[in-house]
Amino acid sequence: MAPSPDVREPEAREPVLRAVDLHKTYRGGLLSRGGGVRAVAGVDLELYAGETLGIVGESGCGKSTLARMLVGLERPDQGEVTFRGRPFFTRGGVPRDIRRRVQMVFQDPLTSLNPRMTVHDIVAEPLRVHRLAQGSRAMRDRVGELLTLVGLSPDRMNRFPHEFSGGQRQRIGIARALATEPDVIVCDEPVSALDMSVQAQVVNLFAELQRTLGVALVFIAHDLAVVRHVSHRVGVMYLGRVAETGPAAGVYGAPAHPYTMALLSAAPVPKPRLKGRSRIMLAGDPPSPVAPPPGCRFHTRCWKATERCAEVEPVLEPGPDGGDHHAACHYAERAS
Amino acid sequence: MNEPPVLEIRDLHVTFTAHGREIPAVRGVDLTIERGQTLALLGESGSGKSVTAKAVMGLLDQPGARVRCERARLGGRDLLAMSEDQLRALRGSEMTLVFQDALSALNPVLSIGDQIGELYRVHRGLSRRQARARSIEMLDLVGIPAAARRVDDYPHQFSGGMRQRILVAMAVALEPDLIIADEPTTALDVTVQAQILELIDRLRRDLGTAVLLITHDLGVAAEVSDRVAVMYAGRIVERGEVEAIYDLPAHPYTEALLAAIPDLDTPASELRAIPGAPPSPAETPPGCSFAPRCERASEVCVTTRPALTPLRTGAGRHTACHHSEEMLDGALA
Repeated sequence: MAPSPDVREPEAREPVLRAVDLHKTYRGGLLSRGGGVRAVAGVDLELYAGETLGIVGESGCGKSTLARMLVGLERPDQGEVTFRGRPFFTRGGVPRDIRRRVQMVFQDPLTSLNPRMTVHDIVAEPLRVHRLAQGSRAMRDRVGELLTLVGLSPDRMNRFPHEFSGGQRQRIGIARALATEPDVIVCDEPVSALDMSVQAQVVNLFAELQRTLGVALVFIAHDLAVVRHVSHRVGVMYLGRVAETGPAAGVYGAPAHPYTMALLSAAPVPKPRLKGRSRIMLAGDPPSPVAPPPGCRFHTRCWKATERCAEVEPVLEPGPDGGDHHAACHYAERAS
Repeated sequence: MNEPPVLEIRDLHVTFTAHGREIPAVRGVDLTIERGQTLALLGESGSGKSVTAKAVMGLLDQPGARVRCERARLGGRDLLAMSEDQLRALRGSEMTLVFQDALSALNPVLSIGDQIGELYRVHRGLSRRQARARSIEMLDLVGIPAAARRVDDYPHQFSGGMRQRILVAMAVALEPDLIIADEPTTALDVTVQAQILELIDRLRRDLGTAVLLITHDLGVAAEVSDRVAVMYAGRIVERGEVEAIYDLPAHPYTEALLAAIPDLDTPASELRAIPGAPPSPAETPPGCSFAPRCERASEVCVTTRPALTPLRTGAGRHTACHHSEEMLDGALA
């Protein structure tokens, strides 16, 4: 997907979706000792119309919890999500018209589609809930239109999800998300469950939909190359916080945070000639989000860490190339 | 002196029978791996790569599965002529398997020391005390901190990366000739994946073990393998040295796969997607299995299945495509 040249003027435009200081802790049951799982601990982000914001991170970094809060499936303990300046979480729950404008595509199309509903019923459900089509005739026409939009043949709408391949199922999930004409689609690992040869089809579909419909995407994935490919801007998460954020070219081309450097260095590349290049090898696994380390969360695995890192938690500050590129590291400048 | 290859498999077929239907999952696969070499068996889900691994290990002894093979030799010994007991003695000592999901591969109610120690007690007849000492050595070797203290811990007390290390420790414990690693890092994070791949590679170098790496990840295959065999719909469609294949793929499927994955360094404007989906093993088309999705397909591809034949370029390069030579000529012209 060609991240089209950045047309956004940060001052002139309001973000469609904004998250401020989001926190979410899952409390354990009776048996859990200590605190709960601190999945997201203070995340800010802004999403502008027509752009793709990529979120990368390893398992347990809180990226799926963040996704669920951004669509209102999960209520943050602290902080706020706003859609065009209007708060998501009111006393009466998420207002219906906001729900309609912010949709989600899930990772596993087989578990996120009801196996006992036909494709027509799956895609028509949001139309019914939001009263977007009057009469069964209009409903069928609209479903057919949506299926065509995602590259499926409308005459298969009376079939069930299991009759489709993985890539086609993901297209059904995308058609369902598009049904309400959303301004924002949050995609949580939308291509990770797909075969390599099919991934590219779905990635290209997202690009095309963004071009034709102008929808803004939050694209969450663990595959660094896919995120680079689809995103205008990228956020790198580690243990519930954003370690680095900025334009995709800046974050990938000149990473400022040691964690981003390590991630990029560890990613396997399909180039046998680069075998045996020097790589940054991190020791151990990411710490548990039940008891994140004090200070900088990455200091236990970081080769640049000093005493200061164990005590003072760094905040996001403009990186070496300034502008939109921010990193949360005491030694970000030295890191480049 | 000509050393026999560590593994030599000729014409392996695996057919499952389900609901009265025959499903050919593997349809004539040849594999040869030399000592100290890593062969990556690359393929998508349903291509038959994991079934091949299980068949080689002799783990497909189940009703409904039929394994047929013309020749199967491990370090010159004929596996087909062996009794079940003899094969059982080989598994775990001469050839070992690293599974994808370490949590379900390890026994949750036995300590790690007991599980690694069992190998030494069963295959080497060591005492409990000796086996425990060797287990600690192995845990040390694969980089588990405080091995002597952690040897009595249970699988759930380790993280995902540590559990995968334990599986690798068990696989190399008896210094086998062959390790089969079935998607050993697929369930792991990138930073941990790099550690495990590095570990397997180091052990291969130090112990001279041959490795059969089953993976769907083109990046992983490029990082660690010497040779690559690409599987599609139960057959090997291309094989050769890793550099040659990635530089100049001679099968349209390999070429399309390499073009379909995004590149970190040079983000292209659009990915070249392969139309359609891989065929189900139950209904593969006649002729070339890839023909319906192939942009080079001609009439002959639909009617006649191309055999895996050596290419003019030599170096053990084989492809199963009617258009391979013209692909290479086109690329070089």
